[in-house]
Amino acid sequence: MKSTGAPLSVEASASARKAADRHLAWMEGGYHGLLEAAPDAMVVVDRSGVIVLLNAQAETQFGYRRDELLGQPVTRIIPAGFAERLIADDLRSASEALAQQIGTGIELTGRRKDDSEFPIEIMLSPLETAQGILVIAAIRNISARKAAEQTLMDMVSELNRSNEELSQFAYIASHDLQEPLRMVASYTQLLSKRYKGKLDADADEFIAFAVDGANRMQRLIHDLLAYSYVGTKGKDLVIVSSEEALGEALRNLQVAIQESGAVVTHGVLPNVLADAGQLTALFQNLVGNAIKYTNKENPVIKISACPDVDSKWRFSVQDNGLGIDEKYFKIIFSMFQRLHKRDEFAGTGIGLAICKKIVERHGGAIWVESQPGYGSTFHFTLPATA
Amino acid sequence: MHIEVLLIEDSPGDVRLTQEVFRDANPSIRLHVACDGLEAMAFLKHEGSQAKAPRPDFILLDLNLPKMDGREVLACIKKDESLKTIPAIVLTTSHAEADILKSYQLQANCYLTKPVQLDEFENVVKSINDFWLKKAKIPQQV
Repeated sequence: MKSTGAPLSVEASASARKAADRHLAWMEGGYHGLLEAAPDAMVVVDRSGVIVLLNAQAETQFGYRRDELLGQPVTRIIPAGFAERLIADDLRSASEALAQQIGTGIELTGRRKDDSEFPIEIMLSPLETAQGILVIAAIRNISARKAAEQTLMDMVSELNRSNEELSQFAYIASHDLQEPLRMVASYTQLLSKRYKGKLDADADEFIAFAVDGANRMQRLIHDLLAYSYVGTKGKDLVIVSSEEALGEALRNLQVAIQESGAVVTHGVLPNVLADAGQLTALFQNLVGNAIKYTNKENPVIKISACPDVDSKWRFSVQDNGLGIDEKYFKIIFSMFQRLHKRDEFAGTGIGLAICKKIVERHGGAIWVESQPGYGSTFHFTLPATA
Repeated sequence: MHIEVLLIEDSPGDVRLTQEVFRDANPSIRLHVACDGLEAMAFLKHEGSQAKAPRPDFILLDLNLPKMDGREVLACIKKDESLKTIPAIVLTTSHAEADILKSYQLQANCYLTKPVQLDEFENVVKSINDFWLKKAKIPQQV
């Protein structure tokens, strides 16, 4: 089928009409009513792509009267993608075609009499008749579904864009803030170093506050950058020994462990799919917190893992520290949330937010179980190796 | 005997801070300052008002400079038969891998980042002084 609009020759048209009439007669034996009752537009074409039969829904859908379409090439209402399929089907036997095409929805474009176009989904089913193989096409207008899909896609891409922008913003803000802050910090520190005790008590106090403020801001910016790096500088997830990652974390915490007299124990830990650097950071934050938030002489920290649902491992970091009230179970994972006064425990309150971001980037979850005075257990899940 | 150091840096805050910290580390250092790449090349080539400029024993340069940036300055220095033997150290805030690589490809003698804390910056300057200005043997004028 080449031309889409030109009518067939008179003879061809007449012979097609005859074939249609014959077929209609055959259909009248019970099938015609079925065709008209179908909820979709139904168009029957022969192997050369000529329309031999259609139902009322097809008339409505495409805006033609029945007699305007009978004997016409199907390309008049479906310009591309359908007729080509029929030709390709010449190479296949009827049973092959049947096997291949039943139940396969193909998305194409339909064209109405007024030349307006609309998205359609067609289902083809070959039908063996005395006149040869005919193809029944059930045609559904999918404008509404397409519009909904487009809306969804637009929303997803808008969401991605805004997420991307947010992470860029966090990175640029913290990165570019460092420059002026370095000046403030360096010069207040220089002031303190050169003039401490040489001015008066007020001056010393003011300078001390300025130095402390600059230092705290530096830690905040440092942590904010670390938080934004979880998303922007994360590595691919590969098979990683969680035991080695924990070992690395414990080496980084060596001084804190020694100073606190903490006893850190763990069983055999599995391989997981993870970013090794982030897994180390995760353990380091959780074990570091367990060492920090305690009033015990010898904090005891246990790390374990057990298989969880959905091909995941559930890790647990248990301590015998201060514990956390249930009403704070959620809020502690938010950014810059602190439960203690600054002079009780140092820190910016970003550690658990980083943990949450790391775990979620791995498709896992993190939560806490605790009772004040009886310690806390932080659980998180990570994907198992396939 | 003075040690002549050329500092190529456009931020006045950084210039002053570097001057202060170098003075504390080694009073015999004379720190000359060029605020952009063109000024630096004029100093090194004794052009115009810089006709009497001394040959530096050591060059410290930032990467992001107006007019002619630090990478171009580095390339010019290391292409010049007479200047290429002067140790040229990059001192910048950039931690970017691309900047580190580019600097060494352009034959920087060392790449250092500006620390945020004053005492760490003092340590960096002390290290430069101990290693490049005291321990390392560098050729005299060629």
